[in-house]
Amino acid sequence: MMILAGIALIVLVLLGAPLFAIIAAGVLLNFALEGTDLTVIPIEIYSLAEMPVLLAIPLFTFAGYLLAESGAPQRLVRITNAFFGWMPGGLAAVALAMCAMFTAFTGASGVTIVALGGLLYPALRQAGYPERYSLGLVTTSGSIGLLFAPSLPLILYGVVAQQLNIGHPVAIPDLFLAGILPGLLIVVMLSLYGLWQRRGQPAAHIPFSGRAALASLRDAAWELPLPVVVLGGIYSGYFAVSEAAAVTAIYVFIVEVLVHREIRFAALPRLMRESMVLVGAILIVLGMSLASTNYLLDAEIPTRLFNYIRSHVHSALGFLLLLNLFLLALGMMLDIFSALVIMVPLILPIALKYDIHPVHLGIVFLANMEIAYLMPPMGMNLFIAMYRFDRPMLEIFRAVLPFVCILALAVLVITYWPGLSLALIKH
Amino acid sequence: MTERHLPPVLARLVKLVTRTENALLVFMLAAMVLLAASQIVLRNFMGMSVAGTDQALRLLVLWVAFLGAVAASREGRHIHVDAVARWLPGRARAWVGSLTDLFTLVVCLVLAWESLRYLVKSYDTAEKAFGVLPVWVAASILPLAFVLIALRYFLRLVHHVRQGLGREEPEA
Repeated sequence: MMILAGIALIVLVLLGAPLFAIIAAGVLLNFALEGTDLTVIPIEIYSLAEMPVLLAIPLFTFAGYLLAESGAPQRLVRITNAFFGWMPGGLAAVALAMCAMFTAFTGASGVTIVALGGLLYPALRQAGYPERYSLGLVTTSGSIGLLFAPSLPLILYGVVAQQLNIGHPVAIPDLFLAGILPGLLIVVMLSLYGLWQRRGQPAAHIPFSGRAALASLRDAAWELPLPVVVLGGIYSGYFAVSEAAAVTAIYVFIVEVLVHREIRFAALPRLMRESMVLVGAILIVLGMSLASTNYLLDAEIPTRLFNYIRSHVHSALGFLLLLNLFLLALGMMLDIFSALVIMVPLILPIALKYDIHPVHLGIVFLANMEIAYLMPPMGMNLFIAMYRFDRPMLEIFRAVLPFVCILALAVLVITYWPGLSLALIKH
Repeated sequence: MTERHLPPVLARLVKLVTRTENALLVFMLAAMVLLAASQIVLRNFMGMSVAGTDQALRLLVLWVAFLGAVAASREGRHIHVDAVARWLPGRARAWVGSLTDLFTLVVCLVLAWESLRYLVKSYDTAEKAFGVLPVWVAASILPLAFVLIALRYFLRLVHHVRQGLGREEPEA
């Protein structure tokens, strides 16, 4: 009976039923069979209102939508071009860094491709980068940056991990610190690839001009302090994460709506609704999974899974390798938010028994998701780039392939070198 | 436009519901941003803290999230796996859509019913969310949101069935 119900639910997932409804149905069925009072489900969902960090999610998302809608992406690209356009390999490197930062702040990887990628692509071509490389870079740009503060997936991993009461504190500022070196590793590796692409070509297509550089700086004078204030505030411990989110939201609002006036007041309700559609879609899945996590832990499912895996996989390294493959497959089907919310409660308790640090696990999880976004047939970035640049899927994938290989290499390093993630955390 | 083929009275009603949802969502998000920002100003520059602000903010997150989820239902933008439907021809996709719509509709009605029972329970015990506000008021968004999501999936179901029967043009 339960097996039939399980198969029916999986079929419904594949047919495209909303995930929150699938999880809810699974929990309802299990609790009903056990004879548990079903009002525990709304009680669990209501506990969303008892998690102070969650406030950061709507605030950062709203700020990200404002940034993407404003002229901020143009100003960023202008600075990049003015300062680094002349440098061999410089433009690609800074474009990567810029995209990483933009993704970290806007949280959604598609936004970067649409808002920044569309502007960077012609700039890269003009600076003499091959077409295929440029296309690959802007498609990849959407997912690098997930490891940098204040990215939503990092925050969400912290939220889910804290719910599990695993005995280890998983502080969100720790996750932010842990992401820095692995994130830099990815950016540096991809930049070196950019440098190699430009080998043997004349250096300067765009001469450096001090005046243009200065003008571009003045242009973005309002946006430039934002990362400094927010990141400085979080890393120094001056702001809590939700406070940093509030500062970002109000600051971005003042700059883009009141100072630059690039977003009209009349457009605000639409933007607010659009951004909250994303927040609602994430948090309703989180709410359902709070209920299902409780059930999973009560039924000791992670322990049973662990015992099963334990009999086949003996070492932590073996487990991590298996995890890499599993997460890649998962990431091709699910978006990053639901993958986090659904799989972390299952995987984290098992990983702990293999003595894997929960913060390291979070970084590995997200690094894998960065690649999964780029894998056919389901990778979301491929679809977004396909629509944005109007190219066939196969061409996009061919362009992305070298990037995927480099990312895979980086993920292996991140996975098997826990020190890289944990070095900056105070013990 | 899932409400295109409804009788005019119903269509107007749905439009009114949509507007109310939007207004509430925008108002609450604005309140959240302003409240969170003013709290930081008060705390860091004036050394003041207003009791209950934190709880109010957390509650606003719950409400905004569920109003956002209702808006997501309207546009079919809940998180889902697009593995099969993407590749199906129009009519078949419409029938698959009506199956998942029906499923979601039923689940949401059950959730709405259980949330309502929770509300009644906490009304009886006179539980308070923070200081003054009773839990049953704070949590009333749950049954409300699930009913509204169910309404949207009902409209989608009608739309998809009509497409399946060939009475409406399927989307390209």
